[in-house]
Amino acid sequence: MPSYEMAMIIRAMPKVELKNALMRISNGIFDRGGIIRKIENLGYRPLPYKTSAHGLVHKEAIFFVFKIDTATTVVSDLKEEYSRDVDVVRQRVFKVNEESEHACTLETELLPPAYRKEVQEMIKMGKSQVNRFRHKFSYNSGLDYYPFQK
Amino acid sequence: MALMKRLFLKIVYTPRALTYNVRHLSTEVAHDDSPVEMENPFTKEKRQCILCKFNITPDYKNYRLLSQFQSPYTGRIYGRHITGLCQTKQAAVEREITKAQNCAYMPYYYKDKTFFKDPKLFDPENPIRSHRF
Repeated sequence: MPSYEMAMIIRAMPKVELKNALMRISNGIFDRGGIIRKIENLGYRPLPYKTSAHGLVHKEAIFFVFKIDTATTVVSDLKEEYSRDVDVVRQRVFKVNEESEHACTLETELLPPAYRKEVQEMIKMGKSQVNRFRHKFSYNSGLDYYPFQK
Repeated sequence: MALMKRLFLKIVYTPRALTYNVRHLSTEVAHDDSPVEMENPFTKEKRQCILCKFNITPDYKNYRLLSQFQSPYTGRIYGRHITGLCQTKQAAVEREITKAQNCAYMPYYYKDKTFFKDPKLFDPENPIRSHRF
């Protein structure tokens, strides 16, 4: 079961209703055999842009992040269910980024162009192609007509 | 004249023989002072981008950090020639910003005014390579 992060934006509402909404969302995951690792509350704050959902325009909302583990086939089901939920303003599901060891390549990127590998490859590719400015058409190529405009 | 010549030869030739002897001796005796194999001590330290230096992985939930790479005038993401990030980190920043904007954590067309006084990581007026415009 891969790990996912669900960014849920829930409409502004009192605590009791919010609790019910969160329970409903969580039960949707549990019913499909998923597990919740963590629920993060990012707080109640104004939205950066007004969003309309289920016939209402929202300018403030409560932000939650659910860290879950589910089967991949379940994700679309969950999305569909939450899209019908009137308390959910917006929902996005992301796969958790894998930690990767990476060495900074800034030093090689700041080299003069002639020393950069990508530039060298470009020059090499350019040299392997026909120069259309200097290339002269040879008449004994098998064509019995001149293919270009004279 | 013959005496002068003999004297001259003595003066000129004796030191040569001496120096030869001394040099020969010095190589045998003073081996502690011989050159040592070492790395070039004058090589410059490798430059690193600011995110690699502090080992930061950009994340869409950390929209305050991401907003530092956004123009306060248009909300667009600054390019690599301005931010001074390495290719990998710049790609990660751009990916995470689009995610954050999609999740309504970050605006598309402006920068959150509460983050205006955040420290500047780079100067857009002084790019590493000249602007296209």
